[in-house]
Amino acid sequence: MEKFARVSATMIKLGRFVRRSVVDNYKSILVIVGFFLLWEFSVRILHTPEFVLPTPSSAIAHLFFKQADANYNWALHIRTTVYEFLIGFCVTAVSGVGLAIVIVWSKRFKNLSMPMFTFINSLPIIAIAPIILLWMGYGIKTNILIAFLVSFFPVIINTMTGLDSIEDDLLDLVRYLHASKLQIFLKIRIPNSLPYIFSGLKICSTMSIVGAIVGEFIASDRGLGYIIINSQYAMDTPPIFSALIVISLAGAALYWVVALFERLLMPWAFKSQKA
Amino acid sequence: MKRKVLLSVMIMILSFTTIWAAGQTEGSAPAELEKVDFLLNWKITGDHAVYYVAQKFGWFQEEGLDVNIIVGQGSGYSVQAIDSGKADIAISDAPVPITNREKGANVKIIGIIFDKHPNCSFFWKDSGITKPQDLAGKTIAVPATDGHKVMWPAFAKQVGVDPDSVKFVNIEPAAKVSALASRNADVVFELYTGKPFMEKAIPADQLGYFVWADYGFNAYAHSYITSDETIASNPEMLRKFLKAVYRAWDYTLQHPEEAIDILSEYHPINKADYLANLKVVMEFFQTDRYKNNGIGYIDPTRIRETYNLVDQYQQKLSFPVEDCYDDSFLPSPMYKYNF
Amino acid sequence: MGKSVTAFIKKIAPKLLYFFLFLAVWQAVVMVFKIKVFILPSPIAVFQHLLDPSIAVQYDWWHHIGATLMEVLVSFAATAVVGIALAILISWSRLFSQLLSPIIILFNSLPKIALAPLFLIWFGYGFLPNILVAFMIAFFPVIINTSAGLMAVEDDLLDLVRYLNASKLQVFMKIRIPNSLPYIFAGLKISATMCVVGSIVGEFIAAEKGLGYLLRDAQAFIDTPTMFACLLLLSAIGLALFSFIGFLEKICMPWEHVQVEK
Repeated sequence: MEKFARVSATMIKLGRFVRRSVVDNYKSILVIVGFFLLWEFSVRILHTPEFVLPTPSSAIAHLFFKQADANYNWALHIRTTVYEFLIGFCVTAVSGVGLAIVIVWSKRFKNLSMPMFTFINSLPIIAIAPIILLWMGYGIKTNILIAFLVSFFPVIINTMTGLDSIEDDLLDLVRYLHASKLQIFLKIRIPNSLPYIFSGLKICSTMSIVGAIVGEFIASDRGLGYIIINSQYAMDTPPIFSALIVISLAGAALYWVVALFERLLMPWAFKSQKA
Repeated sequence: MKRKVLLSVMIMILSFTTIWAAGQTEGSAPAELEKVDFLLNWKITGDHAVYYVAQKFGWFQEEGLDVNIIVGQGSGYSVQAIDSGKADIAISDAPVPITNREKGANVKIIGIIFDKHPNCSFFWKDSGITKPQDLAGKTIAVPATDGHKVMWPAFAKQVGVDPDSVKFVNIEPAAKVSALASRNADVVFELYTGKPFMEKAIPADQLGYFVWADYGFNAYAHSYITSDETIASNPEMLRKFLKAVYRAWDYTLQHPEEAIDILSEYHPINKADYLANLKVVMEFFQTDRYKNNGIGYIDPTRIRETYNLVDQYQQKLSFPVEDCYDDSFLPSPMYKYNF
Repeated sequence: MGKSVTAFIKKIAPKLLYFFLFLAVWQAVVMVFKIKVFILPSPIAVFQHLLDPSIAVQYDWWHHIGATLMEVLVSFAATAVVGIALAILISWSRLFSQLLSPIIILFNSLPKIALAPLFLIWFGYGFLPNILVAFMIAFFPVIINTSAGLMAVEDDLLDLVRYLNASKLQVFMKIRIPNSLPYIFAGLKISATMCVVGSIVGEFIAAEKGLGYLLRDAQAFIDTPTMFACLLLLSAIGLALFSFIGFLEKICMPWEHVQVEK
């Protein structure tokens, strides 16, 4: 009986949460809907040829309705891409934060690795992916590596900055109180860096999907990126935009999930917004 | 307290996914068949339907092969992959393995795909261009890694045009049609097999073009390549592979619609577009050589012409022409194309 | 003067050492395993194609480096200015935040190279389109970080100054902006490298010069030494810009990073 009460209480909270999100953010939803309407009408009014830009209705139709001439198998490709990009994001998040912690902990490691990371991040992945492919071959690990290479840098930079940005006075105080390096790290640096880490993860979230897609352009025969590149050859533009719409929404969804976690874990940071 | 729980849950989820991802391995195939990695030259095009026809009808399996068809990255990458052992057989534009043999790549051509060279130049009819000589001084949009750009100096000198008299704009392969449609370039180099897609943007009566082969460009184009090691260690596999493949070519040339239907089971293609593409491909197989000698026949004269083209205009070659190909793996009897 | 030069050299020395060590290991690996040049070129081959006049002259390096460098610098300036301005706008007004944020987030999840044909038709090719593409790729980190920085002010401090009747503008100018400097610089550092990537993506879409153009040309001939030389130069540009921002950071915020590492 008590369990039932607790479950239904959570469901009610969830429902309220969803309703409040919609009510609070209705303007955002309107903007998105408005954008699609603008796109639809511009294409119709300007008679833009389909090979340049199809209408969103055509793109969405290709997504949901069976086409006479093609079998896109959306389920398989969406599943593949979402899988790659979520795993890529998790791997990047964990290793990015981990690496940043090691870098701040050890100056020697910082000197060794920071130039290398900056170096790697300046390389356009679309140029080096064929080289990676040659060394590693095809497979999901290659795609995850590519997504990682594209999105790890923001996590590292932001986490590093967060771990470093401690006020001098505070550091002096705790050192005077004989705090060890480890204690300072666990009790001061890491909690202080949470807002930075979350910003880094937010940036990483949208970049992970870009990385996953670019990886598919080059190193895959499945996934939304693959559909895009295949359709580009035949100038079959509606499925390209179907894929782009899904990609966009997936990236945004992950971003908002990260933002949600940020809100839940650092509620104090958002009180200041209600000004 | 709740926050700490949430944070720990988040970290646990992230960590478990990472560890699990690290332990992932790819699946494996039935052990009785011989595994072959076959690398295409590019993303899926109409002429790739044959390999899926062979796959679907089990012709590879009949020969005892389990063929893994891999989507490609260009002729250059095919040569790199074959030479480094990443693939057993690949498709590549014929001049590329020849040029790179000189640089140390131990690859040979073992079978031909297009008999007539499909290189082509597209432009708006109203630009006044009618023949290759009119290209001088024009802006040409083409992907840098495209066979057209690589072979341009050879073709240009053959027809008497200064290769440097044109301005090149490197573009993404996907942007070929847009580059011409938007008139950002005067000319686009693209295979003639891409004409149906060009016509989506530029009406057929306004689309001008000329095929390089009609002006004497007689080199070989797409071919099957493999490494010297494979030839030495596993010639039987090559024979079996080519037998299944040319059998599929024979079937596909007679049943193009069915071939495209089969292709669409494996890849998300638009059937109407790809059928138009395949029908154009077939035109490049309709030659006397393929009628009389069989599909895939390596004509010694033409391979020598290809070799000379490379030798004269691209890269001095220090090995004899016989070193760059080996036609002993072609099926016997050959499948003749009765068109 | 002398002291800061020696300090500078002391800072750079270990990094340079590691770099040379890396080059030495790379060269050794290529030589020991007899790796073919078109699988992995040796560093010596790469530098030959870059510096040896007899070989390098055919590539017209300065012409291409200049083109890409201009694109990177201009796009970075645009990214910094517009990015920070948009972030301030979003943080100031809840309305703008609700209107602009979803569009920005949805847009940033798109792989811009997938829109290549569209960009070519709308913008053509050349200097300006490449800068536009670079901007579109690099602006997001600046906006996210700057917004986060402007928002992450402690409650206690805000309560205090509001109690003292500070206006919204005063709070913004005197507290939020100074507080967000570390965030802004972190965002700029990330965007700096992305401007390099973005310029090259722009060049891949369509270009007649630049390191991206040269990279593709080299790829066509499997000229791996030149390819790697281009990549090296691109990374160098990214690293230089990154270091320059770090340098600016130290000037603007001298109180940070004075840590005593044991």
